[in-house]
Amino acid sequence: MKMSAILKKEFLVFFRNAGLVIFILYAFTLDIYIAGKGIKVTPRNVSIGYVNEADNLIVNKIISSFHKPQFKQPKMFLNEKALKNAIYNRKIIVGIVFDKQFVNNLISKKQAKLQVLIDSTAAAQAEVTLIYLQNILMKFENNLNLPAKINIIKLFNPNSNTKWFMSLSELMSNITMLGLVLIAVVFVREKENGTWDIMLLMPVRGSLIIFSKILSQVLILMAGITISVGLIVFGVFNTPINGNLLDFYLISFLFSFAIGGIALVIAAVSKTILEVGHLTIVIMLPLIFLSGAWTPLSAMNPFIQYLSYLSPLRYYIQATQDIFFRGSGFFDLLPYFFAELFMAMVLFYIGYKKIGKLF
Amino acid sequence: MENGELRKILEVKNLSVSYGKKVAIKNVNFSLKEQELLGFIGADGAGKSSTLHAIAGVLSFEGEIVYKNYVYHSPKEAEKIKYEISLMPQGLGLVLYDFLSVKEHFDFFRDLRGLKKDKEYENRLLKMAGLYEFQNRLAGNLSGGMRQKLSLILSLLPRPKLLILDEPTTGVDPISRAELWNIVNEMREDGMSAIISTAYMSEANKMDKLMLFDEGEIIASGTSEELIESIKDYTYEGEIENNKCFSFNNRTYSLKPLNLKKASPTLEGIFFVNALKKGKKPIVINVPEKDIEIPEIIVNAKCLTKKFGEFIADNCIDLKLKKSEILGLLGANGAGKTTFIKMLLGLYPIDEGELYLLGKRIRSYEDRLTLKSKIGYVSQKFSLYKDLSIKENLEYFAKMHSLSVGETKRKIEEFARMFEFEEYLNAFPKEVPLGINQRFSLAAALLHEPVVLFLDEPTSGVDTVARSAFWRLLRKLKENTGISILITTHYMNEAEYCDRVAVLKRGVKIVDDEVKNLHKKYPRLDFEEIFLQIYKENQ
Ligand SMILES: Nc1ncnc2c1ncn2[C@@H]1O[C@H](COP(=O)(O)OP(=O)(O)OP(=O)(O)O)[C@@H](O)[C@H]1O
Ligand SMILES: [Mg+2]
Repeated sequence: MKMSAILKKEFLVFFRNAGLVIFILYAFTLDIYIAGKGIKVTPRNVSIGYVNEADNLIVNKIISSFHKPQFKQPKMFLNEKALKNAIYNRKIIVGIVFDKQFVNNLISKKQAKLQVLIDSTAAAQAEVTLIYLQNILMKFENNLNLPAKINIIKLFNPNSNTKWFMSLSELMSNITMLGLVLIAVVFVREKENGTWDIMLLMPVRGSLIIFSKILSQVLILMAGITISVGLIVFGVFNTPINGNLLDFYLISFLFSFAIGGIALVIAAVSKTILEVGHLTIVIMLPLIFLSGAWTPLSAMNPFIQYLSYLSPLRYYIQATQDIFFRGSGFFDLLPYFFAELFMAMVLFYIGYKKIGKLF
Repeated sequence: MENGELRKILEVKNLSVSYGKKVAIKNVNFSLKEQELLGFIGADGAGKSSTLHAIAGVLSFEGEIVYKNYVYHSPKEAEKIKYEISLMPQGLGLVLYDFLSVKEHFDFFRDLRGLKKDKEYENRLLKMAGLYEFQNRLAGNLSGGMRQKLSLILSLLPRPKLLILDEPTTGVDPISRAELWNIVNEMREDGMSAIISTAYMSEANKMDKLMLFDEGEIIASGTSEELIESIKDYTYEGEIENNKCFSFNNRTYSLKPLNLKKASPTLEGIFFVNALKKGKKPIVINVPEKDIEIPEIIVNAKCLTKKFGEFIADNCIDLKLKKSEILGLLGANGAGKTTFIKMLLGLYPIDEGELYLLGKRIRSYEDRLTLKSKIGYVSQKFSLYKDLSIKENLEYFAKMHSLSVGETKRKIEEFARMFEFEEYLNAFPKEVPLGINQRFSLAAALLHEPVVLFLDEPTSGVDTVARSAFWRLLRKLKENTGISILITTHYMNEAEYCDRVAVLKRGVKIVDDEVKNLHKKYPRLDFEEIFLQIYKENQ
């Protein structure tokens, strides 16, 4: 009853702020669309693995042309299976298989085939890597006059659709930003408008107020996500979903509360909405950077890779990609759910303690 | 000007302002001479602010305004003369920036207006406002009245040729009010003219000419003597209960002859007579009698102290509020009234001392939680949600106090009738005059039938007729339900309606006595004079 009163009030306040509503609609639609259409990424630190069944100098020559800063030192794997596993576990993004016939075919001037396995959930990275690979091989062809053909096997995002990948990444960055802002602002608005005291004097526990306020904004976020996924992700880009959409909602819901915890800290220390804006940017950038939304995790410095376990966004992005592109089921996703739940509980606890002091 | 005839500096012709469909003022005409002080009086929402804003060139209007020889029809055309005009809008320090100090405000406004620094004049303004010692304090940490005074002196800073003040003394204590008039008078000798709206009739008395606004029109104008003269036939002594006449401040107003002694009229009476002429009747206040279990002592504060850093805002204050008592908490701006109430409410932590509410020692959050539904509070600063309509605001508060839907509806209707705000129910707070907003805040505080009310200047900026209704309501509430009320006000005459008053000065309680005892102690003085006397005696 009291909770519904708070929810109703927060919804009314939200919808009466035309500017905010428009901005949020933009962030959930047009912005996602532009991101899906736009950005090109140059590869950096792309991790490569290879299987060398041919065991020939030419292979070593080709492999040595993948060098820094675009590529990490390529790793050798014993067989194709090990290579695939490594890709599945996101240890590497691109795998190249030189089979036994490769060199023979090359020398006998038949068409030589090269197998390339790509983790296309990092579509942008993978796509650009391919172009590189092609260029490198072309050089060999020209110099040695050898015909080689690349046979690409795309894993997980079979059409390697940058649009799909980029639009989902952008969606998740936006959810992060909006989650921080919306949740912090429901509290700070009361400070700014001088209604904070009135709120404190309501005959309800502070915890109920805090929780209801957050829930109101999480529900708004979920509505935004629905619009975005329905209209842009499915509607415009025709992104396939191999897993279950409900799993996506579940992880989004958990993620919102993790973000909510951080937002509570922002709300506790900010006096004005402007301050919320500043702090959001300061906090959001590392969150996104550490999550692998811009650069695949495997392409990062190992230390940073460890740090990335602290970003709730990491689990969200990985789970989402798994749901959409790999078709992982509920049980495969359990580790992500638990990790996100854990993050949500820890962050929420911290935030709650922090804002609770003001009640 | 050979014959001593003063030049006309402002002429307002057929001025009309409307907000959407609602007409705020229609065809207002008047003029203003050099050095003249023109006062606007009238009920909340009568059109005073709209007129002032139109003249200051911050609001679109129809008609024509001539300042000196310059004619303007819109805010854009008024740009050219704005540097000679200074407007202070109504509301507690709306033009202030919470995170700038008093001194920084001066620097900021000086730069903004391109003024040269005049140390002497600035210090004088600061002293008048009692802010001289607090120049480094952030505006956000000033008391309500101090904020009001800061905006006021900032509007005086450019030494405007035409000063426009919209209820500048709302929430300002009597001592500063007197000082303000000294300054205005001095500036007038230098040739300044001013238009000032006010709810204090003692101030209106000091104007050269008054205009009475009513529903967007000027229905009477003249000197205060002329206006007072016009109601002398309707003014009687004492207060009575009668639904055909109004009573307030020891006077009764009736159009039909009464069997009472005639009394010398005061300016205040003009509002009541005008209301009567329009067929309005005092609202019938119906508070059903109730027997609620209330302890004998509602609030018992023992040596409560609040410090902000080095500064002691409240210094060991003892205060008891008994069952069924109206206690007035008086004191100059910054004396520590709001701080004290906030300690009672738990909005500020108590630094030292003990507090008992409704017989219960208050130590923790838990102790307070169960008491919240028994307390009603109206804060000094505006306290409604601006994105919700008035009705939605009230519904929200009702629900938070677990009122049923039916009960909520009934209560809202009842208050709307009692406080006369039915027509505003669907409006948003910022579309509604300040005085009317105060009535909503009060309604919101009363919805859940609390046993004790903490009212921090609930009547500031509220018009006379509404204030009289308000006080009748408080008395009725007290008599019929036995609730207790702690109230602050800067209308010293309202202290007459309190059972007891406590006076604070610089964070110290200097007097705590029954009103009738104070009258015995200071015979033949009205309460404002008593207050000033008390303040003088306790240097
Ligand atoms: N947060 C704060 N930090 C520093 N000083 C403060 C703070 N809050 C209030 N004060 C100071 O405490 C003093 C008392 O303020 P308070 O608001 O209680 O006055 P008041 O009696 O209610 O005055 P008014 O009649 O103007 O409302 C003032 O000098 C004010 O500037
Ligand atoms: Mg105060």
